[in-house]
Amino acid sequence: MIANRPIGKSLNKGPWPSPVSITIGGFIRVHYRVAKESFFYVSSHLGTSLLVWLLIGIALGLPAGLYLLERNLGAMSEDWQGKPGISLYFELSASDEAIEAVAQRLRQDVRVRAVSLVSSARALEEFKAYSGLADALAVIEYNPLPNSMRAVLADGLEPLQLELLSVSLTDLPGVQEVVVEKTWLERVTAITELISRLGFMLAVLFGVAAILVTSTSVRLAIESRLDELKVLKLVGATSAYMRRPFLYFGLSYGMGGGVIGAMLVSINISLVEEPLAEFLGSYGGSLNIIGLDYLFVAGMLGIGGFLGIVGALMASRQRLADLQVD
Amino acid sequence: MSEIELRNVTRRFDSGIEALGNVSVSFASGSMTFLTGHSGAGKSTLLKILLRLDVPTRGQVLVGGVDISRLAEKYIPLFRQNIGVVFQDHHLLDGRTVFENVALPLRLVGMSERDIERRVRAALSRVSLLAKERQFPPVLSTGEQQRVGIARAVVNRPKILLADEPTGNLDPELSKDIMDLFEQFKQVGTTVIIASHDRELINTMGIPIVELEQGHLLGAGI
Repeated sequence: MIANRPIGKSLNKGPWPSPVSITIGGFIRVHYRVAKESFFYVSSHLGTSLLVWLLIGIALGLPAGLYLLERNLGAMSEDWQGKPGISLYFELSASDEAIEAVAQRLRQDVRVRAVSLVSSARALEEFKAYSGLADALAVIEYNPLPNSMRAVLADGLEPLQLELLSVSLTDLPGVQEVVVEKTWLERVTAITELISRLGFMLAVLFGVAAILVTSTSVRLAIESRLDELKVLKLVGATSAYMRRPFLYFGLSYGMGGGVIGAMLVSINISLVEEPLAEFLGSYGGSLNIIGLDYLFVAGMLGIGGFLGIVGALMASRQRLADLQVD
Repeated sequence: MSEIELRNVTRRFDSGIEALGNVSVSFASGSMTFLTGHSGAGKSTLLKILLRLDVPTRGQVLVGGVDISRLAEKYIPLFRQNIGVVFQDHHLLDGRTVFENVALPLRLVGMSERDIERRVRAALSRVSLLAKERQFPPVLSTGEQQRVGIARAVVNRPKILLADEPTGNLDPELSKDIMDLFEQFKQVGTTVIIASHDRELINTMGIPIVELEQGHLLGAGI
Protein backbone atom coordinates (compact mmCIF):
# COMPACT_ATOMS: atom_id res chain seq x y z
CA MET A 1 0.00 0.00 0.00
CA ILE A 2 1.39 3.36 -1.01
CA ALA A 3 0.86 5.99 1.64
CA ASN A 4 -0.93 9.12 0.55
CA ARG A 5 1.38 12.07 1.00
CA PRO A 6 1.55 15.67 -0.10
CA ILE A 7 3.36 16.17 -3.39
CA GLY A 8 4.32 19.79 -2.76
CA LYS A 9 7.87 19.24 -1.51
CA SER A 10 10.49 18.85 -4.22
CA LEU A 11 13.42 16.79 -3.11
CA ASN A 12 14.90 14.85 -5.97
CA LYS A 13 17.51 15.45 -8.60
CA GLY A 14 16.65 13.98 -11.98
CA PRO A 15 17.25 10.35 -12.85
CA TRP A 16 19.82 11.16 -15.53
CA PRO A 17 22.76 13.49 -16.06
CA SER A 18 22.62 16.18 -18.75
CA PRO A 19 22.77 14.66 -22.26
CA VAL A 20 25.61 17.09 -22.99
CA SER A 21 27.85 18.55 -20.30
CA ILE A 22 27.95 22.30 -20.72
CA THR A 23 31.52 23.58 -21.01
CA ILE A 24 32.76 27.17 -20.79
CA GLY A 25 32.96 27.15 -24.57
CA GLY A 26 29.35 25.97 -24.76
CA PHE A 27 28.29 28.69 -22.33
CA ILE A 28 30.01 31.36 -24.45
CA ARG A 29 28.47 29.87 -27.62
CA VAL A 30 24.97 30.08 -26.14
CA HIS A 31 25.52 33.73 -25.11
CA TYR A 32 27.04 34.65 -28.46
CA ARG A 33 24.14 33.06 -30.33
CA VAL A 34 21.51 34.69 -28.15
CA ALA A 35 23.24 38.10 -28.32
CA LYS A 36 23.34 37.85 -32.12
CA GLU A 37 19.67 36.87 -32.32
CA SER A 38 18.71 39.70 -29.96
CA PHE A 39 20.66 42.21 -32.06
CA PHE A 40 18.82 41.04 -35.17
CA TYR A 41 15.49 41.30 -33.36
CA VAL A 42 16.22 44.85 -32.17
CA SER A 43 17.45 45.96 -35.60
CA SER A 44 14.55 44.30 -37.42
CA HIS A 45 12.10 46.26 -35.23
CA LEU A 46 14.00 49.51 -35.74
CA GLY A 47 10.98 51.83 -35.44
CA THR A 48 10.01 50.46 -32.03
CA SER A 49 13.64 50.28 -30.93
CA LEU A 50 14.26 53.94 -31.85
CA LEU A 51 11.23 55.03 -29.81
CA VAL A 52 12.40 53.01 -26.82
CA TRP A 53 15.94 54.40 -27.16
CA LEU A 54 14.58 57.96 -27.35
CA LEU A 55 12.37 57.49 -24.28
CA ILE A 56 15.21 56.02 -22.25
CA GLY A 57 17.59 58.63 -23.66
CA ILE A 58 15.38 61.48 -22.43
CA ALA A 59 14.92 59.76 -19.07
CA LEU A 60 18.69 59.43 -18.66
CA GLY A 61 19.65 62.72 -20.32
CA LEU A 62 17.84 65.06 -17.94
CA PRO A 63 19.42 63.86 -14.68
CA ALA A 64 22.75 63.43 -16.47
CA GLY A 65 22.57 67.04 -17.67
CA LEU A 66 21.80 68.22 -14.14
CA TYR A 67 24.71 66.13 -12.87
CA LEU A 68 27.04 67.91 -15.29
CA LEU A 69 25.63 71.30 -14.28
CA GLU A 70 26.10 70.49 -10.61
CA ARG A 71 29.66 69.31 -11.22
CA ASN A 72 30.57 72.43 -13.13
CA LEU A 73 28.98 74.79 -10.62
CA GLY A 74 30.79 72.91 -7.85
CA ALA A 75 34.09 73.34 -9.68
CA MET A 76 33.33 77.02 -10.21
CA SER A 77 32.59 77.63 -6.54
CA GLU A 78 35.71 75.68 -5.54
CA ASP A 79 37.70 77.94 -7.82
CA TRP A 80 36.20 80.97 -6.13
CA GLN A 81 36.77 79.57 -2.67
CA GLY A 82 40.45 79.23 -3.54
CA LYS A 83 40.76 83.00 -3.91
CA PRO A 84 38.04 84.74 -1.84
CA GLY A 85 37.89 88.46 -2.35
CA ILE A 86 36.43 91.82 -1.46
CA SER A 87 35.43 94.52 -3.92
CA LEU A 88 35.59 98.17 -2.88
CA TYR A 89 33.66 100.87 -4.74
CA PHE A 90 34.85 104.47 -4.28
CA GLU A 91 32.84 107.65 -4.21
CA LEU A 92 32.80 109.42 -7.59
CA SER A 93 34.53 112.36 -5.92
CA ALA A 94 37.26 110.26 -4.30
CA SER A 95 40.74 111.64 -5.03
CA ASP A 96 43.62 109.59 -6.41
CA GLU A 97 45.48 110.10 -3.13
CA ALA A 98 42.58 108.70 -1.13
CA ILE A 99 42.41 105.66 -3.44
CA GLU A 100 46.17 105.10 -3.19
CA ALA A 101 45.97 105.38 0.60
CA VAL A 102 43.34 102.65 0.69
CA ALA A 103 45.49 100.49 -1.63
CA GLN A 104 48.48 100.97 0.65
CA ARG A 105 46.39 100.11 3.68
CA LEU A 106 45.28 96.88 2.03
CA ARG A 107 48.76 95.87 0.84
CA GLN A 108 50.04 96.13 4.40
CA ASP A 109 47.24 93.97 5.76
CA VAL A 110 48.35 90.33 6.32
CA ARG A 111 44.83 89.14 5.48
CA VAL A 112 45.20 90.47 1.93
CA ARG A 113 47.16 88.60 -0.70
CA ALA A 114 46.85 90.94 -3.71
CA VAL A 115 45.25 94.22 -4.65
CA SER A 116 44.15 95.35 -8.12
CA LEU A 117 42.63 98.65 -9.13
CA VAL A 118 39.96 98.96 -11.78
CA SER A 119 39.75 102.57 -12.90
CA SER A 120 36.40 104.15 -13.71
CA ALA A 121 37.53 104.54 -17.35
CA ARG A 122 38.32 100.81 -17.69
CA ALA A 123 35.07 99.89 -15.94
CA LEU A 124 33.18 102.01 -18.48
CA GLU A 125 34.97 100.34 -21.41
CA GLU A 126 34.14 96.88 -20.09
CA PHE A 127 30.55 97.87 -19.42
CA LYS A 128 30.21 99.16 -22.99
CA ALA A 129 31.71 95.97 -24.37
CA TYR A 130 29.55 93.48 -22.48
CA SER A 131 26.28 95.32 -21.73
CA GLY A 132 25.31 96.19 -25.29
CA LEU A 133 24.42 99.68 -24.05
CA ALA A 134 27.32 101.50 -25.73
CA ASP A 135 25.00 103.81 -27.71
CA ALA A 136 23.02 104.82 -24.62
CA LEU A 137 26.20 105.49 -22.64
CA ALA A 138 27.52 107.72 -25.42
CA VAL A 139 24.71 110.15 -24.71
CA ILE A 140 25.86 110.62 -21.11
CA GLU A 141 28.54 113.25 -20.95
CA TYR A 142 30.28 112.00 -17.81
CA ASN A 143 31.41 108.58 -16.57
CA PRO A 144 28.85 107.37 -14.01
CA LEU A 145 30.97 104.42 -12.88
CA PRO A 146 33.24 104.71 -9.85
CA ASN A 147 36.81 103.56 -9.40
CA SER A 148 36.91 100.15 -7.78
CA MET A 149 39.42 97.87 -6.19
CA ARG A 150 39.51 94.10 -5.78
CA ALA A 151 41.39 92.55 -2.90
CA VAL A 152 42.24 88.85 -3.06
CA LEU A 153 42.28 87.53 0.47
CA ALA A 154 44.57 85.01 2.15
CA ASP A 155 43.42 81.39 2.33
CA GLY A 156 41.58 80.04 5.35
CA LEU A 157 40.06 83.33 6.41
CA GLU A 158 37.22 82.87 8.89
CA PRO A 159 33.85 84.50 8.11
CA LEU A 160 34.23 86.70 11.23
CA GLN A 161 37.65 87.98 10.09
CA LEU A 162 36.16 88.71 6.69
CA GLU A 163 33.33 90.64 8.30
CA LEU A 164 35.74 92.68 10.51
CA LEU A 165 37.90 93.55 7.51
CA SER A 166 34.83 94.59 5.56
CA VAL A 167 33.64 96.91 8.37
CA SER A 168 37.10 98.47 8.82
CA LEU A 169 37.32 99.23 5.07
CA THR A 170 33.88 100.85 4.95
CA ASP A 171 35.10 103.58 7.32
CA LEU A 172 38.07 104.57 5.18
CA PRO A 173 37.89 107.97 3.43
CA GLY A 174 36.57 107.84 -0.14
CA VAL A 175 35.12 104.33 0.15
CA GLN A 176 31.42 104.18 -0.66
CA GLU A 177 30.68 100.44 -0.58
CA VAL A 178 32.38 97.18 0.29
CA VAL A 179 31.07 93.98 -1.25
CA VAL A 180 32.15 90.66 0.20
CA GLU A 181 32.14 88.05 -2.56
CA LYS A 182 31.22 85.41 -0.04
CA THR A 183 27.54 86.29 -0.39
CA TRP A 184 27.59 85.53 -4.10
CA LEU A 185 29.54 82.37 -3.37
CA GLU A 186 26.97 81.26 -0.82
CA ARG A 187 24.29 81.67 -3.44
CA VAL A 188 26.23 79.57 -5.93
CA THR A 189 26.78 76.91 -3.27
CA ALA A 190 23.07 76.92 -2.39
CA ILE A 191 22.10 76.63 -6.06
CA THR A 192 24.60 73.79 -6.50
CA GLU A 193 23.09 71.97 -3.53
CA LEU A 194 19.58 72.52 -4.92
CA ILE A 195 20.61 71.21 -8.35
CA SER A 196 22.33 68.25 -6.72
CA ARG A 197 19.19 67.25 -4.84
CA LEU A 198 16.97 67.93 -7.84
CA GLY A 199 19.32 65.80 -9.95
CA PHE A 200 19.12 62.95 -7.45
CA MET A 201 15.31 63.09 -7.34
CA LEU A 202 15.07 63.17 -11.12
CA ALA A 203 17.65 60.38 -11.45
CA VAL A 204 15.50 58.15 -9.22
CA LEU A 205 12.23 59.06 -10.94
CA PHE A 206 13.56 58.83 -14.49
CA GLY A 207 15.55 55.71 -13.61
CA VAL A 208 12.29 54.04 -12.59
CA ALA A 209 10.71 55.36 -15.80
CA ALA A 210 13.56 53.85 -17.86
CA ILE A 211 13.06 50.50 -16.10
CA LEU A 212 9.31 50.60 -16.79
CA VAL A 213 9.82 51.51 -20.46
CA THR A 214 12.25 48.62 -20.91
CA SER A 215 10.04 46.28 -18.93
CA THR A 216 7.02 47.07 -21.12
CA SER A 217 9.01 46.71 -24.35
CA VAL A 218 10.48 43.40 -23.23
CA ARG A 219 7.06 42.16 -22.19
CA LEU A 220 5.77 42.87 -25.70
CA ALA A 221 8.75 40.98 -27.14
CA ILE A 222 7.94 38.03 -24.85
CA GLU A 223 4.30 38.03 -25.94
CA SER A 224 5.35 37.94 -29.60
CA ARG A 225 7.52 34.86 -28.92
CA LEU A 226 5.21 32.87 -26.64
CA ASP A 227 4.93 29.92 -29.02
CA GLU A 228 8.68 29.59 -29.19
CA LEU A 229 8.99 29.86 -25.41
CA LYS A 230 6.42 27.10 -24.92
CA VAL A 231 8.30 24.79 -27.28
CA LEU A 232 11.58 25.63 -25.54
CA LYS A 233 10.05 24.77 -22.19
CA LEU A 234 8.83 21.43 -23.56
CA VAL A 235 12.25 20.46 -24.87
CA GLY A 236 13.94 21.23 -21.57
CA ALA A 237 15.08 24.85 -21.68
CA THR A 238 15.95 26.26 -18.27
CA SER A 239 14.35 29.49 -17.06
CA ALA A 240 17.73 31.20 -17.42
CA TYR A 241 17.97 30.08 -21.05
CA MET A 242 14.48 31.36 -21.85
CA ARG A 243 15.14 34.64 -20.04
CA ARG A 244 18.52 35.28 -21.69
CA PRO A 245 17.37 36.80 -25.03
CA PHE A 246 15.15 39.23 -23.18
CA LEU A 247 17.99 40.31 -20.91
CA TYR A 248 19.98 41.07 -24.06
CA PHE A 249 16.98 43.06 -25.36
CA GLY A 250 16.96 45.04 -22.13
CA LEU A 251 20.71 45.57 -22.33
CA SER A 252 20.54 46.82 -25.91
CA TYR A 253 17.54 49.05 -25.19
CA GLY A 254 19.27 50.51 -22.11
CA MET A 255 22.65 51.02 -23.79
CA GLY A 256 21.02 52.51 -26.88
CA GLY A 257 19.11 54.85 -24.55
CA GLY A 258 22.42 55.74 -22.89
CA VAL A 259 23.92 56.72 -26.25
CA ILE A 260 20.88 58.85 -27.12
CA GLY A 261 20.98 60.44 -23.63
CA ALA A 262 24.67 61.35 -24.01
CA MET A 263 23.93 62.81 -27.45
CA LEU A 264 21.05 64.91 -26.08
CA VAL A 265 23.25 66.29 -23.29
CA SER A 266 26.01 67.04 -25.80
CA ILE A 267 23.60 68.83 -28.17
CA ASN A 268 22.17 70.92 -25.34
CA ILE A 269 25.62 71.91 -24.14
CA SER A 270 26.63 72.99 -27.63
CA LEU A 271 23.47 75.14 -27.75
CA VAL A 272 24.32 77.05 -24.53
CA GLU A 273 28.10 77.03 -24.98
CA GLU A 274 28.44 80.36 -26.78
CA PRO A 275 26.22 82.54 -24.55
CA LEU A 276 27.71 80.87 -21.47
CA ALA A 277 31.24 81.63 -22.63
CA GLU A 278 30.26 85.29 -23.19
CA PHE A 279 28.66 85.46 -19.75
CA LEU A 280 31.70 84.03 -18.00
CA GLY A 281 33.97 86.24 -20.08
CA SER A 282 32.16 89.29 -18.75
CA TYR A 283 33.33 88.22 -15.28
CA GLY A 284 36.86 87.71 -16.51
CA GLY A 285 36.49 83.92 -16.51
CA SER A 286 36.62 81.39 -19.28
CA LEU A 287 34.37 78.46 -20.18
CA ASN A 288 35.80 75.10 -19.30
CA ILE A 289 33.03 72.47 -19.17
CA ILE A 290 34.17 69.48 -17.20
CA GLY A 291 32.67 66.00 -17.10
CA LEU A 292 31.51 65.56 -20.72
CA ASP A 293 34.15 63.00 -21.64
CA TYR A 294 34.57 59.30 -22.49
CA LEU A 295 33.98 58.37 -18.87
CA PHE A 296 30.65 60.23 -18.90
CA VAL A 297 29.54 58.41 -22.07
CA ALA A 298 30.70 55.08 -20.62
CA GLY A 299 28.78 55.87 -17.43
CA MET A 300 25.63 56.64 -19.45
CA LEU A 301 26.02 53.33 -21.33
CA GLY A 302 26.64 51.42 -18.10
CA ILE A 303 23.73 52.95 -16.20
CA GLY A 304 21.44 52.57 -19.24
CA GLY A 305 22.47 48.94 -19.67
CA PHE A 306 21.97 48.21 -15.98
CA LEU A 307 18.49 49.79 -15.91
CA GLY A 308 17.62 47.92 -19.11
CA ILE A 309 18.61 44.58 -17.59
CA VAL A 310 16.64 45.32 -14.42
CA GLY A 311 13.55 46.15 -16.51
CA ALA A 312 13.98 43.03 -18.64
CA LEU A 313 14.50 40.88 -15.57
CA MET A 314 11.30 42.21 -14.00
CA ALA A 315 9.25 41.52 -17.12
CA SER A 316 10.73 38.12 -17.98
CA ARG A 317 10.73 36.64 -14.47
CA GLN A 318 7.09 37.44 -13.99
CA ARG A 319 5.90 36.42 -17.46
CA LEU A 320 7.94 33.23 -17.76
CA ALA A 321 6.89 32.09 -14.31
CA ASP A 322 3.27 32.37 -15.48
CA LEU A 323 3.94 30.52 -18.75
CA GLN A 324 1.57 27.58 -19.12
CA VAL A 325 2.38 24.76 -21.51
CA ASP A 326 -0.46 22.58 -22.75
CA MET B 1 13.83 -3.66 -15.50
CA SER B 2 11.13 -0.98 -15.58
CA GLU B 3 12.22 2.40 -16.90
CA ILE B 4 8.89 3.93 -15.91
CA GLU B 5 6.61 2.84 -13.12
CA LEU B 6 3.37 4.45 -11.99
CA ARG B 7 2.19 3.44 -8.54
CA ASN B 8 -1.39 4.20 -7.59
CA VAL B 9 -1.35 7.48 -9.50
CA THR B 10 -4.40 9.69 -9.07
CA ARG B 11 -4.86 13.11 -10.61
CA ARG B 12 -7.84 15.09 -9.45
CA PHE B 13 -8.32 18.67 -10.68
CA ASP B 14 -9.56 21.56 -8.55
CA SER B 15 -12.92 21.27 -10.32
CA GLY B 16 -13.29 17.81 -8.78
CA ILE B 17 -12.85 15.91 -12.05
CA GLU B 18 -10.65 12.85 -11.68
CA ALA B 19 -8.49 12.49 -14.81
CA LEU B 20 -6.60 9.48 -13.45
CA GLY B 21 -7.71 7.19 -10.66
CA ASN B 22 -5.34 4.87 -8.87
CA VAL B 23 -3.41 3.88 -11.99
CA SER B 24 -0.52 1.45 -11.54
CA VAL B 25 1.42 0.41 -14.61
CA SER B 26 5.03 -0.04 -15.69
CA PHE B 27 6.93 0.34 -18.94
CA ALA B 28 10.09 -1.70 -19.43
CA SER B 29 13.31 -0.09 -20.57
CA GLY B 30 13.61 -0.24 -24.39
CA SER B 31 9.95 -1.24 -24.82
CA MET B 32 7.34 0.22 -27.12
CA THR B 33 3.78 0.55 -25.78
CA PHE B 34 0.51 1.93 -27.02
CA LEU B 35 -1.44 4.02 -24.55
CA THR B 36 -5.00 3.89 -25.75
CA GLY B 37 -8.50 4.85 -24.78
CA HIS B 38 -11.29 7.18 -25.87
CA SER B 39 -11.09 10.96 -25.63
CA GLY B 40 -11.05 11.97 -21.97
CA ALA B 41 -9.71 8.58 -20.88
CA GLY B 42 -6.66 10.22 -19.27
CA LYS B 43 -3.98 9.56 -21.93
CA SER B 44 -2.89 13.21 -22.23
CA THR B 45 -2.88 13.68 -18.45
CA LEU B 46 -0.66 10.64 -18.09
CA LEU B 47 1.75 11.95 -20.75
CA LYS B 48 1.82 15.36 -19.05
CA ILE B 49 2.69 13.70 -15.77
CA LEU B 50 5.46 11.71 -17.46
CA LEU B 51 6.82 14.93 -18.97
CA ARG B 52 6.55 16.60 -15.55
CA LEU B 53 4.15 19.24 -16.87
CA ASP B 54 1.73 18.06 -14.21
CA VAL B 55 2.02 16.22 -10.91
CA PRO B 56 -0.29 13.56 -9.49
CA THR B 57 -2.54 14.36 -6.58
CA ARG B 58 -1.57 11.00 -5.13
CA GLY B 59 0.81 8.17 -5.95
CA GLN B 60 4.33 7.85 -7.29
CA VAL B 61 5.79 8.21 -10.78
CA LEU B 62 9.15 6.50 -10.86
CA VAL B 63 11.42 7.17 -13.84
CA GLY B 64 14.81 5.47 -13.66
CA GLY B 65 14.01 4.77 -10.01
CA VAL B 66 13.42 8.45 -9.15
CA ASP B 67 10.00 9.85 -8.20
CA ILE B 68 9.71 12.65 -10.72
CA SER B 69 6.71 14.21 -9.00
CA ARG B 70 9.15 15.21 -6.28
CA LEU B 71 11.78 16.61 -8.65
CA ALA B 72 13.32 19.86 -7.51
CA GLU B 73 12.18 22.68 -9.80
CA LYS B 74 15.68 23.37 -11.12
CA TYR B 75 16.12 19.74 -12.27
CA ILE B 76 12.93 19.64 -14.34
CA PRO B 77 14.52 21.11 -17.51
CA LEU B 78 17.36 18.60 -17.27
CA PHE B 79 14.81 15.79 -16.92
CA ARG B 80 12.95 17.00 -20.02
CA GLN B 81 16.19 17.18 -22.03
CA ASN B 82 16.25 13.38 -21.79
CA ILE B 83 12.70 12.95 -23.04
CA GLY B 84 11.65 13.30 -26.65
CA VAL B 85 8.09 14.42 -27.30
CA VAL B 86 6.08 14.18 -30.51
CA PHE B 87 2.88 16.20 -30.62
CA GLN B 88 -0.19 15.70 -32.76
CA ASP B 89 -0.04 19.37 -33.83
CA HIS B 90 3.75 19.24 -34.21
CA HIS B 91 4.56 22.40 -32.19
CA LEU B 92 7.03 23.58 -34.87
CA LEU B 93 8.23 27.18 -35.10
CA ASP B 94 7.00 28.55 -38.42
CA GLY B 95 9.64 31.29 -38.57
CA ARG B 96 12.55 28.88 -38.31
CA THR B 97 13.84 26.47 -40.91
CA VAL B 98 13.46 22.72 -40.59
CA PHE B 99 17.12 22.56 -39.57
CA GLU B 100 16.67 25.19 -36.84
CA ASN B 101 13.54 23.48 -35.51
CA VAL B 102 15.36 20.19 -35.14
CA ALA B 103 18.46 21.89 -33.69
CA LEU B 104 16.45 23.54 -30.88
CA PRO B 105 17.09 20.92 -28.14
CA LEU B 106 20.82 20.89 -28.99
CA ARG B 107 21.23 24.66 -28.95
CA LEU B 108 20.02 24.96 -25.40
CA VAL B 109 22.74 22.66 -24.09
CA GLY B 110 25.44 24.73 -25.81
CA MET B 111 26.54 22.08 -28.29
CA SER B 112 29.14 23.14 -30.85
CA GLU B 113 27.91 24.14 -34.30
CA ARG B 114 29.77 21.22 -35.89
CA ASP B 115 28.11 18.65 -33.60
CA ILE B 116 24.72 20.28 -34.09
CA GLU B 117 25.05 20.00 -37.86
CA ARG B 118 26.11 16.36 -37.63
CA ARG B 119 23.30 15.37 -35.28
CA VAL B 120 20.55 17.35 -37.02
CA ARG B 121 21.49 15.97 -40.42
CA ALA B 122 21.54 12.43 -39.01
CA ALA B 123 18.07 12.92 -37.50
CA LEU B 124 16.70 14.48 -40.69
CA SER B 125 18.22 11.68 -42.71
CA ARG B 126 16.39 9.11 -40.58
CA VAL B 127 13.06 10.78 -41.30
CA SER B 128 14.00 11.27 -44.99
CA LEU B 129 13.87 15.08 -44.86
CA LEU B 130 17.51 16.01 -45.33
CA ALA B 131 16.72 17.65 -48.67
CA LYS B 132 14.25 20.00 -46.99
CA GLU B 133 16.46 21.27 -44.14
CA ARG B 134 16.40 24.89 -45.44
CA GLN B 135 12.63 25.01 -45.87
CA PHE B 136 10.14 26.47 -43.43
CA PRO B 137 7.43 24.28 -41.81
CA PRO B 138 4.40 26.01 -43.41
CA VAL B 139 5.49 24.86 -46.88
CA LEU B 140 5.74 21.22 -45.79
CA SER B 141 2.94 18.64 -45.92
CA THR B 142 1.34 17.44 -42.67
CA GLY B 143 3.27 14.19 -42.83
CA GLU B 144 6.53 16.03 -43.37
CA GLN B 145 5.80 18.36 -40.48
CA GLN B 146 5.15 15.34 -38.27
CA ARG B 147 8.46 13.83 -39.32
CA VAL B 148 10.26 17.11 -38.49
CA GLY B 149 8.63 16.88 -35.05
CA ILE B 150 9.94 13.33 -34.70
CA ALA B 151 13.44 14.36 -35.80
CA ARG B 152 13.41 17.09 -33.14
CA ALA B 153 12.21 14.61 -30.52
CA VAL B 154 15.01 12.14 -31.18
CA VAL B 155 17.91 14.47 -32.07
CA ASN B 156 19.01 14.57 -28.43
CA ARG B 157 19.03 10.72 -28.27
CA PRO B 158 16.38 10.65 -25.54
CA LYS B 159 15.94 7.80 -23.11
CA ILE B 160 12.17 8.05 -23.38
CA LEU B 161 10.07 9.00 -26.39
CA LEU B 162 6.49 10.15 -25.77
CA ALA B 163 4.18 10.57 -28.74
CA ASP B 164 0.72 12.10 -28.41
CA GLU B 165 -1.49 10.95 -31.33
CA PRO B 166 1.46 11.07 -33.75
CA THR B 167 -0.56 9.63 -36.61
CA GLY B 168 -3.75 11.57 -35.93
CA ASN B 169 -3.76 13.54 -39.19
CA LEU B 170 -1.95 11.06 -41.40
CA ASP B 171 -3.11 8.48 -43.96
CA PRO B 172 -2.57 4.77 -43.14
CA GLU B 173 0.54 4.43 -45.28
CA LEU B 174 2.26 7.42 -43.68
CA SER B 175 1.13 6.23 -40.25
CA LYS B 176 2.84 2.92 -40.89
CA ASP B 177 6.07 4.71 -41.90
CA ILE B 178 6.05 6.69 -38.68
CA MET B 179 5.41 3.60 -36.58
CA ASP B 180 8.36 1.95 -38.29
CA LEU B 181 10.50 4.91 -37.26
CA PHE B 182 9.40 4.47 -33.64
CA GLU B 183 10.25 0.79 -33.93
CA GLN B 184 13.79 1.77 -34.98
CA PHE B 185 14.20 3.98 -31.91
CA LYS B 186 12.98 1.16 -29.73
CA GLN B 187 15.63 -1.08 -31.26
CA VAL B 188 18.37 1.26 -29.99
CA GLY B 189 17.01 1.10 -26.41
CA THR B 190 14.63 4.05 -26.29
CA THR B 191 11.46 3.50 -24.25
CA VAL B 192 8.60 4.52 -26.55
CA ILE B 193 5.08 5.33 -25.35
CA ILE B 194 2.53 6.22 -28.02
CA ALA B 195 -0.83 7.66 -27.05
CA SER B 196 -3.33 6.82 -29.76
CA HIS B 197 -6.97 5.90 -30.23
CA ASP B 198 -6.38 4.60 -33.78
CA ARG B 199 -7.69 1.04 -33.21
CA GLU B 200 -6.83 -0.13 -36.70
CA LEU B 201 -3.22 0.94 -36.37
CA ILE B 202 -2.90 -0.55 -32.88
CA ASN B 203 -4.28 -3.88 -34.02
CA THR B 204 -1.88 -4.13 -36.96
CA MET B 205 1.26 -3.31 -34.90
CA GLY B 206 1.08 -6.15 -32.41
CA ILE B 207 2.82 -4.31 -29.55
CA PRO B 208 1.82 -4.05 -25.86
CA ILE B 209 -1.21 -1.90 -25.06
CA VAL B 210 -2.16 -0.02 -21.93
CA GLU B 211 -5.83 0.90 -22.11
CA LEU B 212 -7.44 3.62 -20.05
CA GLU B 213 -11.12 4.38 -19.59
CA GLN B 214 -12.35 7.42 -17.70
CA GLY B 215 -9.04 7.68 -15.90
CA HIS B 216 -8.85 4.05 -14.83
CA LEU B 217 -6.66 1.28 -16.13
CA LEU B 218 -8.85 -1.03 -18.14
CA GLY B 219 -6.16 -3.49 -19.03
CA ALA B 220 -2.69 -4.16 -20.33
CA GLY B 221 -1.62 -6.70 -22.90
CA ILE B 222 -0.93 -7.30 -26.55
